[in-house]
Amino acid sequence: MKRIAIDVGGTFTDCLVLDASGALSAFKSPTTPQDPTQGVRQALEQAAQHFEQPLSTFLKDVDLLMHGTTLATNTLINKAGAKTGMITTKNFRDLVEIRRGIKDPRVSMYNLFIPPYEPLVPRYLRLGVTERTLWNGEVLKTVSPTEVREAAEKLRQEGVQSIAVCFLHSYANPQNEEAAANLLRGSFADLYVCASHDILPVWGEYERFSTTLVDAYVGPVVSQYLRKLERELKRSGLKGAMLMILANGLTQTVEHCAKRAVFLIGSGPAAQPSAGTFLGSLTKQRDLLTMDMGGTSFDVCLLPGGEIPTTTEMWQEDHRVAIKIVDVRSIGAGGGSIAWIDSLGLLRVGPQSAGAEPGPACYNRGGTQPTVTDADLLLGYVPADFFLGGSIPLDAGAATKAVKSVAGPHKMSVDEAAEAIFTTVNMNMANQITEVSTKRGYDVRDFTLVAGGGAGAVHAAFIAEQLGIEKIIVPSTAALFSAFGMFSMDLGRDFARSFVSRALRLDLRRVNSLYAQMEKEARANIRSMKIPVQDVVLNRTAEMRYVRQFHQVEVEMPNGKLGAADLELILNNFHKRHDELFTFSMPWREVEFLTFRLKAVAPRAPFKLSKIKPGKADAKAALKSKRPCRFHGRQLDTPIYDSDRLLANNTFKGPAIIEEPTTTVVIPPGFACAIDAYKNYILTRR
Amino acid sequence: MPSSVVDPITLATVWHTMQTLCREMRHVMDRTAQNYLMGQLHDISVGIWDAQGRTVAVPVGLPVQFLGASFAVKSITEKFKDNLHPGDIILTNDPYHGGHNCHLPDWGFFRPVFFDGELIFITLARAHQEDTGGAYPGGYFPNGYDIHAEGICIPPLKVYEKGVENKDLFELIWNNVRWPQGVRVDNYSMIASTALCEKRLLAMLKKYGKETVKACIDEMIQRTERAVRAEIRKIPAGTYFGESATDDDGTVLDEPVWIRVAVTVKGDRMTLDFSQSDKQRKGFINSVYAATYGNAIAAAVLVFDATLADYHNEGTMRPIEVIAPQGLVVNCEYPATVGASPVNVGIQVMEAVLMALSQAVPQRSIAAWAKHRGDYVFGVDPRTNERYVRTSFDYDGSGGAVWGQDGYQGLSALTALAAVTRGNIEEMEIRIPFYMHKLEFATDLQGAGRWRGGAGVYWEAQNQGSDSGMATGSSDGDTTFGPGAEGGQPCPPCRTYIQRGSQRIRVKPHRLVQLKNKDVVIKISSGGAGVGNPAQRDPQLVALDVRNEIISPAAARKVYKVVVDPATFVVDAKATARLRRGATTKPAKGAAAKPAAAKAASGRAAKQRRRATSTRASRRA
Repeated sequence: MKRIAIDVGGTFTDCLVLDASGALSAFKSPTTPQDPTQGVRQALEQAAQHFEQPLSTFLKDVDLLMHGTTLATNTLINKAGAKTGMITTKNFRDLVEIRRGIKDPRVSMYNLFIPPYEPLVPRYLRLGVTERTLWNGEVLKTVSPTEVREAAEKLRQEGVQSIAVCFLHSYANPQNEEAAANLLRGSFADLYVCASHDILPVWGEYERFSTTLVDAYVGPVVSQYLRKLERELKRSGLKGAMLMILANGLTQTVEHCAKRAVFLIGSGPAAQPSAGTFLGSLTKQRDLLTMDMGGTSFDVCLLPGGEIPTTTEMWQEDHRVAIKIVDVRSIGAGGGSIAWIDSLGLLRVGPQSAGAEPGPACYNRGGTQPTVTDADLLLGYVPADFFLGGSIPLDAGAATKAVKSVAGPHKMSVDEAAEAIFTTVNMNMANQITEVSTKRGYDVRDFTLVAGGGAGAVHAAFIAEQLGIEKIIVPSTAALFSAFGMFSMDLGRDFARSFVSRALRLDLRRVNSLYAQMEKEARANIRSMKIPVQDVVLNRTAEMRYVRQFHQVEVEMPNGKLGAADLELILNNFHKRHDELFTFSMPWREVEFLTFRLKAVAPRAPFKLSKIKPGKADAKAALKSKRPCRFHGRQLDTPIYDSDRLLANNTFKGPAIIEEPTTTVVIPPGFACAIDAYKNYILTRR
Repeated sequence: MPSSVVDPITLATVWHTMQTLCREMRHVMDRTAQNYLMGQLHDISVGIWDAQGRTVAVPVGLPVQFLGASFAVKSITEKFKDNLHPGDIILTNDPYHGGHNCHLPDWGFFRPVFFDGELIFITLARAHQEDTGGAYPGGYFPNGYDIHAEGICIPPLKVYEKGVENKDLFELIWNNVRWPQGVRVDNYSMIASTALCEKRLLAMLKKYGKETVKACIDEMIQRTERAVRAEIRKIPAGTYFGESATDDDGTVLDEPVWIRVAVTVKGDRMTLDFSQSDKQRKGFINSVYAATYGNAIAAAVLVFDATLADYHNEGTMRPIEVIAPQGLVVNCEYPATVGASPVNVGIQVMEAVLMALSQAVPQRSIAAWAKHRGDYVFGVDPRTNERYVRTSFDYDGSGGAVWGQDGYQGLSALTALAAVTRGNIEEMEIRIPFYMHKLEFATDLQGAGRWRGGAGVYWEAQNQGSDSGMATGSSDGDTTFGPGAEGGQPCPPCRTYIQRGSQRIRVKPHRLVQLKNKDVVIKISSGGAGVGNPAQRDPQLVALDVRNEIISPAAARKVYKVVVDPATFVVDAKATARLRRGATTKPAKGAAAKPAAAKAASGRAAKQRRRATSTRASRRA
């Protein structure tokens, strides 16, 4: 049996196949933004061809297909979501715009010169209906079906395709929200409908409503795509499970995700840190910084001590998304990023991208604007005849013509302009790394950079140079970094039940019965993911706090039937954890429980990267050719190595270039490259 | 500009580490505190000073709580001299006696940080407590006899010595506040945030070495100072006047109290001279110098280039002098009451400076934000039979416009500069016996302008608790209005009512009234002020505002001179052009008075007061 990981990025669709022997094969196909299912199909067909099978035979032998996609994120970033309406508690329709009086939290308090927040749903599409639930879950006013229907009619006249139902205190009792959502689903089958208690069942209406609006906004695009993809894959012969990679690094079925699209915000990149930790443990590096530079976006994640960071404090663009999410930050910088000249006459690169269609000018597919890939080509870094193993021939003439458009106004030669584009995009990326490291108080020079993405290994050493980073790891599957991360992840999902009780009065029978329910649900759910049940590891936690605090601390809990002695242990764990997190604890203060959680995971399928043949330091045997490349304003005759002929222990100094079928590794002067036993390229600064 | 001592990456790392540390300190309080003001609203400030009292990092907080804190840091190092040790924590909330604090509820915990036996830093966590004792909870009790009526006064005292808690002292302090167990939790939360800061600072000192870190601090301050001086040099030299009033002082009722500033720019120096402000009052709107200083500096830096915003420190303050003679409302003397002063006259200090600087640099005009509409309800929650105090920013209006941008919607008063947040309604209803009826933007309740103020807010809730007291201590803006700039209109008037059955009772700011069970509190809070002539606003934006019911079709026509079809929201271009003919050159009716910079000082104040009064009269009519 085989396992497949598919990652649909903004530019390329990556497909990585793990066979029974633990060997990986990589395939890449352009993303097809009009209908991304086509790109997926093309990548799978490439894979089937490689295994010399028809697609249906190939898919029949797949027991698990994991899928990540940036579709939800890009829909939000590109403002390409559905026209969305909101039905909310009457007299409270502005809570999502007032948004707790929050000015863009990334802007200093001393800067007032920024545009006001523009909500996803304008005021005239936010309609109130009579209904009210109280703080204790009691329904004071049942929702009026007539008003809901009238509101929906009005919204539909305005042309909305999606409606978010957001009522006060629905986390305590979803009755009114459920009634309204069911009515909408029954009467308006063409609309995407979501309800806040279903998306994020926790109190705090601003965070819950905002997250729900994001869900409604990206929902129609995402669910249509997912349903179509699943249908087509089944039709093509897929019998195994298909699981989506969620923002929190866990997995879920397509059916579940199609109704809760917001959980796919950050879906592809969420797998990236796992690739980092896998490679980190392989190469014995602790403090890691992963970067993934694709065609459209640059994603970066800081892993101090190898720990994958998650957050519930995420802002996507200017919108609050309060689900738990792997803390990967993105900017618009990639191979397809377009170079342009701004109103001050300054050269800028991105965030606009030529994407996959039309792609960079050198693709000769109709793109005329200069991109980073055009610059990479003109600098000699990427090969004209071996880009993606030769599947996309690059046209230097077209690249030159495009780059001239920014060279002219700056009175630069084409080479100079190409280098300026290259340096500018590197600086953008270095700044983003500073944002997640230096600006959080970490000295980035202590970290090892793990570089992925099709364009990542072209730029990584230059970024490291700017930041003073000493060491870079480039895996040979760098170009399929997130897909690689999916194999390094544990599979599973989490469950939660809110039950607010002071520790002194905690009804343990009730807690035991909650866990019995959740574990039953987990087993059924894991079965639906087609993971063998005996492999499942159950992990319990509780969210607890000192009475009257506003935030919870997640504390480990023992498995099995809980008794009084366990409670004491849990309380001790809580005090200890509070102390670890905040430097103090208050054993004299009463404690309360809020939410009981269960995480059910199946450890990742064991896989090993296969070792390559060992050799000596001398890499002459792999030397393919030489070509002139431009480094820091000088043309240097640069040796080009063929990745297939490199052996473990080979080492050489920059300038040098390694050509992989899916990527190119650039080793500038001042760096040395060593090849390890698993064919990772270890670059060190001299 | 390379430094001879430190490399640029170390400098950037140290600089940003300090900023991040402050955010982490704030996070610790946010996560562990139990009072609404700290855990939900972020009425907290944190920062790092060096051993000489120089301001090193102040990225986020309330200006009044921490931008003037170097006075307190200096007074602490002078008071304790060699008697400061690792593990000491000094608490003070005193505006006088060396505390330099704005008002009593804002307790500050200072922790000296030592490395190699040398005092290197002092870090501060300051936050608004659930209670500080005194005649009434919350700290906004009008008409107190003197500062002692406002609560317990704690001069700088060691509550921890060499890591050991002074239990007796804490017992005395906590015994003098309501909800001592809650205040205890919050105090530990604040102390913990300074402990975390110390831990991280020590790690940084160990990593880079003491001398490198000190060199970085010098370099940070020098670079900021150079940049701020360059910014000041861009402002045309001259003297600019600004003024603003609060409704009254809470003791002498219905008589406004005026703050006046003369901003003089000369070369790379700026002087903010408040000498023409009103005398110190009996009522509780008096501000101590450190509080005036913090608000004045905060207002001045807003006109500087935004790229500097993340990097303010001692270097920012050096070229700016703040003059406020003793005995004035901007520099009051013991035992004057100060309860309301972080808001009133805090807001007025900032508004006056911004009014002056908006004339100096119109392209950096900043209009007034909506006034704070705070009230404190003190009663019993029948669900628990426990006493509670309701404090909130939920009913505040919105930000004012700036040149080029409409006001940010939903932000709370200018003195907080958006460092505070509103609570969630759900959290409020869980915690206190108030039932929300409504919280929405109001129509036509913002200062009009080419760039308009953020929308005003309508807030209504029912008291389901016991008969209670309600102090409108920190509210303002019924009869005095924050100014617009460059022809933008001022903030409209605000109102607070108690609806008791069919009886509607108006409650003015700075009052203490009775609130009965089942009474409904209604707060109509204005939005921010505008920048530029409303008749120059993009008609399409006016049409969108009409569609969103932020502006009525009538106001669109009357104030913005735009004719919008109320059914289709299409602009009638011809009719609009007709209305606008001539309207774009005349200053808009009701626009903020614009004091002429060249007028002699004598008679200016009286004239301006008349002008402001007439503005008031016309708004009322």
